[in-house]
Amino acid sequence: MIEAISLVGQSSGRAGTLMNSSEELIARARRGEDEAFRLIFDRYGRPIISFIYDMVGRRELAEELTQETFVRAYKNLKALRDDTKLSTWLFGIAKNVARESLRRRHRESDKVGIDDDHVIELSDGKLPPDRQLLDKELNGVIRDALGALDEDKRLVFTLKIFQQRSYEEIAEITGSSIPKLKTDLHRARAEMRRRIRPYLGVGYEV
Amino acid sequence: MKCEEYRILIEDYVDRALDQKTASRVTAHTETCAECASFYREMSREQDVYARYQRDVEVTPVLWASIESRIKQERAAQPEGQRIGMISRLREQLAGVFSAPRLSPAFAAALVIVAIGVTVFVMSRLNSRGPQQIATGNSNAAVIQPDTSNRNSDVAVPAPHTPEERKNDTLAAATGITAPNTVKIAPPTVNPRNRQPARLTPTQLVRDAEQKYLTAIAMLSRDVDRRRSQLDPMMLARFDASLSEIDRTIRETRHVVRENPEDPIALQYLLAAYSKKVDVLREMTTD
Repeated sequence: MIEAISLVGQSSGRAGTLMNSSEELIARARRGEDEAFRLIFDRYGRPIISFIYDMVGRRELAEELTQETFVRAYKNLKALRDDTKLSTWLFGIAKNVARESLRRRHRESDKVGIDDDHVIELSDGKLPPDRQLLDKELNGVIRDALGALDEDKRLVFTLKIFQQRSYEEIAEITGSSIPKLKTDLHRARAEMRRRIRPYLGVGYEV
Repeated sequence: MKCEEYRILIEDYVDRALDQKTASRVTAHTETCAECASFYREMSREQDVYARYQRDVEVTPVLWASIESRIKQERAAQPEGQRIGMISRLREQLAGVFSAPRLSPAFAAALVIVAIGVTVFVMSRLNSRGPQQIATGNSNAAVIQPDTSNRNSDVAVPAPHTPEERKNDTLAAATGITAPNTVKIAPPTVNPRNRQPARLTPTQLVRDAEQKYLTAIAMLSRDVDRRRSQLDPMMLARFDASLSEIDRTIRETRHVVRENPEDPIALQYLLAAYSKKVDVLREMTTD
């Protein structure tokens, strides 16, 4: 199973993955076909773990919460009312799982934890422009900036900017109105801009 | 409309969330307003930066193995009437045995031993196809060098005598896997009950071995996660770095295997990488 399946029949397996519609995969998974649910994971595992990682900021925790997301999805497949919205539904579960985890952690600390090796001083104004900055450092800056956003802003920013979701989809995932989402995204962008501006090498003032 | 309002629209424009008419108005404005044009350029640069953002996280086989294991536990916990089919039931029972949390290190070790046995058998079958096949398709594998120095001190391999034993020893050297001296890996023809079905191909057997490694890794990973808070931070960091490096090797090796699914050398390296991960995880779970 798992990746091992792809050791043989790679090309036909890939083609099969592409040909399987989400609706078909859901129907097969509901009938108890393990392979169908594995294909759902293959298709959505990466965006879901990226989204959760952006929300919680820790690799091990993101892996754990991704696991929880897909287990919950499996257990609740019958509750999915519109099979064409599998992706939105999965992101909704992932959002709930991430938020529950953040709530637990907020009892200990008000800030989202970030892996220590990426902590970079953001406010000295002496950092070199992005062209001179290694991508790794820039990744750290973006992640720190994400971690500094409040939860609602981080949620909409991640879904819109990184996951390229439409406002309608984000509204379904979050339960927020589109005007609120737009306001949150505008503010999130401004906060992110303030933090990454030293790396853009431009002088525009908001 | 004020520039401040246009800048909100510029954000939507960059997100491609504007209708054609509004988008045209934004374009016309940025052609006449230097500040808004500058804002648009900065937005575009931001988008480029965000598009380059790379996360220190990825989907690994272990992640799916963990999910699959938990799903099987969930299904095993369901009432009898809700389960699906006899074959599924049998799978669930097996999964239940392997996922017993208190016994997981022992079961993980047992799985690894089984995987080693299967690996040895597979490799002997593949190698018996002749050197020509081995010579083809292993150029990529050559760039992935498993550390052959990490043999466990508690295992030993007797000096090879027969050609078959020499093959196994070569495999052990290549993979870093050595069979415990208390465990005799029986040739597949000794016990007809244990003999693999004749229709299984070497590749299928490799899949089987890989699956056993993945299951063992998933179990050990759970144990490690439970112990994380008890481990010395420095040691934990070193372990994590090692695991990260091994995961990278697994990814690269799997890529080579996909390119050359019948190449025994590539398969050896892949299973060796799994073995390494098991070794590291076992070390983390040992006091």
